[in-house]
Amino acid sequence: MRYLMTTKASGTAPDEKLYAAMAEFVEELTTAGVLLATGGLEPGGIRVTSSGDGITVTDGPFAEAKEAVAGFALVEVRSREEAIEVARRFRRIVGDGESVIQQVFGS
Amino acid sequence: MTDVHRTIDAVWKLQAARIIAGLTRMVHDVGLAEELAQDALVSALEQWPASGVPDNPGAWLTAVAKRRAVDHIRRSRRLEHGQGRLACELERQDREHGSGGDTEQDDVLRLMFVSCHPVLPTEARVALTLRLLGGLTTEEIARAFLVGESQIVRRIAAAKRTLAEERVPFELPGGPELAARLSSVLEVVYLIFNEGYSATSGDDLTRPELCLEALRLGRLLAGLAPHEAEVHGLVALMELQASRSAARTGPSGEPVLLHEQNRGRWDRLLIRRGFTAMLRAREIGGPPGPYVLQAAIAVCHAQARSAEETDWARIAALYGALARLLPTPVVQLNRAVALGMAHGPAAGLALVDSLTGDPALRDYHLLPSVRGDLLARLGRLEEARLEFERAASLAGNVAEHAFLHRRAAEIPVPAASGPTLGQAAREFLERGGLDAGTVRSYGQTLRRLRLAVGDRTPLASLTADHVARAFNAAWGEAAAATWNRHRSAVRSFGAWASMEHLAAGLDRRAETRPRTRGIGPAQLEVLWDRLDLPLRERTLWRLLHESAAGVTAVLSLNVEDLDLDDRRARAGGSWVSWRSGTARLLPDLVAGRTRGPLFLTDRRPGPSRVPAQADLCPETGRRRLSYERAEYLFKQATRSLDPAGDGYTLRRLRYPT
Repeated sequence: MRYLMTTKASGTAPDEKLYAAMAEFVEELTTAGVLLATGGLEPGGIRVTSSGDGITVTDGPFAEAKEAVAGFALVEVRSREEAIEVARRFRRIVGDGESVIQQVFGS
Repeated sequence: MTDVHRTIDAVWKLQAARIIAGLTRMVHDVGLAEELAQDALVSALEQWPASGVPDNPGAWLTAVAKRRAVDHIRRSRRLEHGQGRLACELERQDREHGSGGDTEQDDVLRLMFVSCHPVLPTEARVALTLRLLGGLTTEEIARAFLVGESQIVRRIAAAKRTLAEERVPFELPGGPELAARLSSVLEVVYLIFNEGYSATSGDDLTRPELCLEALRLGRLLAGLAPHEAEVHGLVALMELQASRSAARTGPSGEPVLLHEQNRGRWDRLLIRRGFTAMLRAREIGGPPGPYVLQAAIAVCHAQARSAEETDWARIAALYGALARLLPTPVVQLNRAVALGMAHGPAAGLALVDSLTGDPALRDYHLLPSVRGDLLARLGRLEEARLEFERAASLAGNVAEHAFLHRRAAEIPVPAASGPTLGQAAREFLERGGLDAGTVRSYGQTLRRLRLAVGDRTPLASLTADHVARAFNAAWGEAAAATWNRHRSAVRSFGAWASMEHLAAGLDRRAETRPRTRGIGPAQLEVLWDRLDLPLRERTLWRLLHESAAGVTAVLSLNVEDLDLDDRRARAGGSWVSWRSGTARLLPDLVAGRTRGPLFLTDRRPGPSRVPAQADLCPETGRRRLSYERAEYLFKQATRSLDPAGDGYTLRRLRYPT
């Protein structure tokens, strides 16, 4: 089963050490066949809203930037608990903040 | 399971390979390493529910398991040499190997090579790999393969024992050995994938958890052995096949054929991963191996936006190349499908027809299924229907069975034209006057004939050629007595049905006792000259040859049974006697021992394996050499002598040349 883990932006800037630890973590999970895809997301982005017949396109940044998703990882695991364990290891590396994991249906 | 138990299970599955690999490096015994790792797991199960899951559960498990390993080594060294400087030594060893990622990864790769070692039977390799590398429980493995758990437990225990007895080293094979060992690993991974992708039995068409397990093993292997094109080929093949899994089954679980699949449901992410793996394989270069070729075929399918756009000519060419590397009937059958698509059904049918007598495909449901498909496209509907029915009766998987049945049912049945083979066979067996043994024996023959020809084939259309083909596929290689028994069953059936011609293509075979041939004198000379081989082997072989005694009897000899002067030994109620060749070697082998088994294993059994007292040497603590092990060693040593390349069995030493 697949899970999408999304991570919100944290206030602190990552340092060298964090980059190295992350690179090692990503490499390990990729080699283990767990991590299928991962990426960081531009802050803000473009918002497309539909209402009735009208579609509005708005450029970011938006007011609630802190709630915005800053990165994602798509993992393939055997169980919910494995997804949690992967997230747990990730959070241990990045420090304070919040990630959300959701099962991806239909895959 | 509680939440903590589920967490422990998850942590274990993610870490098992690394933990067991690390322990194996320390204790040099996969079986022991796994037991130690299990101990750590038990500690977690005892402690975590009360203390809570530790911050870094993987590291916790690793640390506890390592401590167990150190304790174990200390204990066993204390028994042998007293305390020593073990702790320092282990620490130094640990520092040298470090926790550096590379060594850790190499350890995992070594573990893979060990668990897929060719000394193990294939089934054992599969079970052990899932257990050690995937961290699956025996119950999970049993469920995935639909066998009893006790069977898996036994299989794994036997595998560990064999690895210990064979002293399979924990190392990365190099040079010419690498290719063979690697292909054994690839075979195991692909077997796991295939069992998941097209379940050979059971109600469901696929068992996705096995596919996932195989994909992970394959991706892991690609990370560990990145310079091997075939590894990337296998990964590409699996990613591409897995990309179609959602589209392969319809709403009620029925299979959907490739050309009818909704390509929108193919998983683009896996396709892209497959293409990437394929690119890596191509970059490495070299002549494409079987996995790269199969992946290239999968790439052709993945690249076609619709079934009509499929480049069947290229696929047929790739199957041609594959058939040159792997000339198996299954590959030929696939090639026939491709030929049928590229150059018309007649071309495909010609190849399929050349395969119908192949014993390997005797019960393979896809042969009649493919044949039925080609016949239907040629407008030979009646024959096609019979083939689909035959395919349905051979399919072991419920979903496939139903699907093939429906394909048969879609073709209209022509007006009744006398009884079918199935009806006639039943009537033949159920008429009175036959004793139970005959009914059973005739029943066997007719069941095989019905499977081969199709239950609903009109009896009147059955020909001697049908019967001869079925016989050759089923019993062509069987003993003459078996052949003759089935032949007389058909003759009896033919006489009853007034179709005496049915057995016309079946000659009665002369029944002679099959003789086991001995090994030629020139080859024996080569063997006796192999002074590089261990004394034990040379003595055993000489003794078997000179005494012509049974292998079991010779292996059961004890030192106290030997009468070296008279060149004989008491074995059970009779005598085993030898000549000068053995007599020269025996004293060295006995080497001062006074009792216990004559032929011993190389080392003492592990702590968990306690053989019977009579099979233990009271002086060295080693156990009696097993038949399996002795047989294996002889096969290994004679592989180069055997024209078939399999190596000889020990029994053949007993026979005159």
